[in-house]
Amino acid sequence: MRREQVQPACLSNVEPDRISCLPGHVIDQILSHLPLREAVRTSVLSSKWRYKWATLPNLVFDNQCLSVASQDHSDIKNKLLRIIDHVLLLHAGAINKFKLSHRDLIGLTDIDRWALHLTRRSIKEFVLEIWKGQRYKIPSCLFACQSLVHLELFNCWLKPPSTFQGFRNLKSLDLQHVTLAQDVFENLISSCPLLERLTLMNFDGFTHLNIDAPNLQFFDIGGKFEDIRFENTFQLSVVSIGLYLNFEINQNRLNGGSSNLLKFFVHLPHVRRLEVQSYFLKYLAIGAVPLKLPRPCVDLSYLSIRMNFNDSKEISTALCLLRSSPNLQELEVLARPEEQNVLIHPYCGEDEYCSCPIMQLRHVRIDGVSGTKPELDFISFLLLYSPVLERMTVKPIASGVTELMKELLRFRRASGRAEIIYQESL
Amino acid sequence: MSEIDMAVIKPEMMKSYIWLQTSDGSIQQVEQEIAMFCPLICQEIITKGMGSSKNSAISLPQQVTPSTLSLILDYCRFHQVPGRSNKERKSHDEKFVRMGTNRLCELVSAADSLQLRPLVDLISRALARKIEGRTPEEIREIFHLPDDLTEEEKLEPLKNITDDPRIRLLNRLYAKKRKELKERERLKNVEIEEERVDERSVDDLLTFINGNDGDSKAVKTPKNKKKNRKKKDQQKNPSLKEDSGPEKKELNGHDTCDQSSDGNIIGETSNLTYEEDGTFSPKIDFDDGDMDDGIDPAIREKIDREVEDFARRINSDWAERMQDFLTSGRERTSTLSATNGNGYLRRHA
Repeated sequence: MRREQVQPACLSNVEPDRISCLPGHVIDQILSHLPLREAVRTSVLSSKWRYKWATLPNLVFDNQCLSVASQDHSDIKNKLLRIIDHVLLLHAGAINKFKLSHRDLIGLTDIDRWALHLTRRSIKEFVLEIWKGQRYKIPSCLFACQSLVHLELFNCWLKPPSTFQGFRNLKSLDLQHVTLAQDVFENLISSCPLLERLTLMNFDGFTHLNIDAPNLQFFDIGGKFEDIRFENTFQLSVVSIGLYLNFEINQNRLNGGSSNLLKFFVHLPHVRRLEVQSYFLKYLAIGAVPLKLPRPCVDLSYLSIRMNFNDSKEISTALCLLRSSPNLQELEVLARPEEQNVLIHPYCGEDEYCSCPIMQLRHVRIDGVSGTKPELDFISFLLLYSPVLERMTVKPIASGVTELMKELLRFRRASGRAEIIYQESL
Repeated sequence: MSEIDMAVIKPEMMKSYIWLQTSDGSIQQVEQEIAMFCPLICQEIITKGMGSSKNSAISLPQQVTPSTLSLILDYCRFHQVPGRSNKERKSHDEKFVRMGTNRLCELVSAADSLQLRPLVDLISRALARKIEGRTPEEIREIFHLPDDLTEEEKLEPLKNITDDPRIRLLNRLYAKKRKELKERERLKNVEIEEERVDERSVDDLLTFINGNDGDSKAVKTPKNKKKNRKKKDQQKNPSLKEDSGPEKKELNGHDTCDQSSDGNIIGETSNLTYEEDGTFSPKIDFDDGDMDDGIDPAIREKIDREVEDFARRINSDWAERMQDFLTSGRERTSTLSATNGNGYLRRHA
């Protein structure tokens, strides 16, 4: 095939080629909805399309880059390496986002080289997921990159150089399966003044969480820690905390001492959505649990807690929260199955349910119950004090718990519109 | 409540209209709240106070023809109603983009000029869906793209973006190669007998390349030498690079003999390709073979042969010079291993 001559205008059977004349940013948008491989392949379409892909703002290198799954890991590694080298070399313009997440990618030192190149191209979003192998040490050049707005790392080790001044423009930080030292963590958080979103999952190297972030709005952590303290976080609106460690409580701290719950809520006046997962409610229950918080959480509209119904302190904590959330609309309670014979605080029955406020709950979900007395008391309490309730869904831990069903039918309901849905676990 | 009722009962709630002028000069009246959905129109109304009368009609960008404007307004009319569910909106959007690719391109261009981002995003996705998973021929057919790249261009997407002199030299080589191919093509078309002659000469080349083992060895040895050479190069690299800038510019000025430019290319290709086997392969290997989708297998073979031939010619030239170099003077090695490598380059100047 030879190069075709330009069609003379008199040939009317040639349809106009409109797409090639679209403005560059529109073409970028079209190509950005394609996987990177397909976008680069457009370079063979026509002479105008040879370099249209080269201004793509987002480069995502993932499992779709190499369609042929080869058995040979070094082969895949080499191919991936060549692809990334070539694409980065031929790319023109600013790179907005770089994501590297290939299942066969073991931490390569080439990543350091690419990171250096990217920091020179004013990269805004950097996502690195090392699926296999040990923690990858993040190169120091990345810590000097002040154009970063979003940083997402999976299976990495962060050890910034002593010259690290923080990320001036960082708004979103997502660290999962990472290792960093205690002081590194604190310095990282406090030196990113614009930080709005923080996600931390399965971290090690530090156990005390001191969160000092004035602009933080979204906070999601799950891991093993000893204590958590917020400072200056008055904008926090979505909080999800999971403590994956069933710790032994020091008996002295059990009932005396300052309440963790109080300390926790001092700096969270505007929280809208709160998720208390795993053993975090146990942590909050430490200390003298008040009947009600000094300052109600007026913005709280969604609450999800994982609770051990056999621990009356946890129930007290949950009730304190319910009393302090006048505008709560959605509630989710997940039962945490624990050894039933280890009764730290024997259940006191209806004594718990004194001073019950009228709640504005509309949707309630109870999961993992088996029909014990504490559970039934709790459900009955919810039904009695929620006049605007629309739906309650109860999912038992095992099927065929007919006692529970019978009780549910019997309970008095304050809301005439309430639907109680009993969801059989399959 | 119909419009008429509203006009009678609550005159202050009567809909206000905006005057818009499209690319062909025609002026039309449009409900203000719908037109305001487009940021550009909104801006014109608020900051410049335009559009309130026929005389001060907002003149829309030239990409907005009357037909595209009516489509855009339909889109705005649906979406500016607040009570619609996400499902409704999604299903409306899916139906909305069911039109020919040319219309979609016109529409996205118009929506972009009006800064109507949701519509631009919707159409971009629709166009991307038309590209995804298709072969280059299918895409060319759908979008009426001219197939005006030569086979070499399809194989070698290298561009001199950074004005690197090494790439400039490479591009010049490619241009030469392309010219040669064109010549061959032209000769083919002019005379049919010539066609056969050409084929035969290519066959000859084939047998020459693939024929005896002796020949293939001949092909291999230069590559081996090149490997050794490359190791030396790499040792010198850091020092070479410091002076490489001004030196190369010197060379470009000199384009005296072909051999010199070829020779320098060899030194440079070893830096560019990072490959040990010595072949030219600057293409991006997303699954080797996928980039050749549109080419006839017979022609592709021919091209492969020609590229191999080309590479072999380069390697063989270099091999000859290597022989010269090794036999002519041992004393030269000392200047070569000198840090600025001037000795090597002077030889070619």
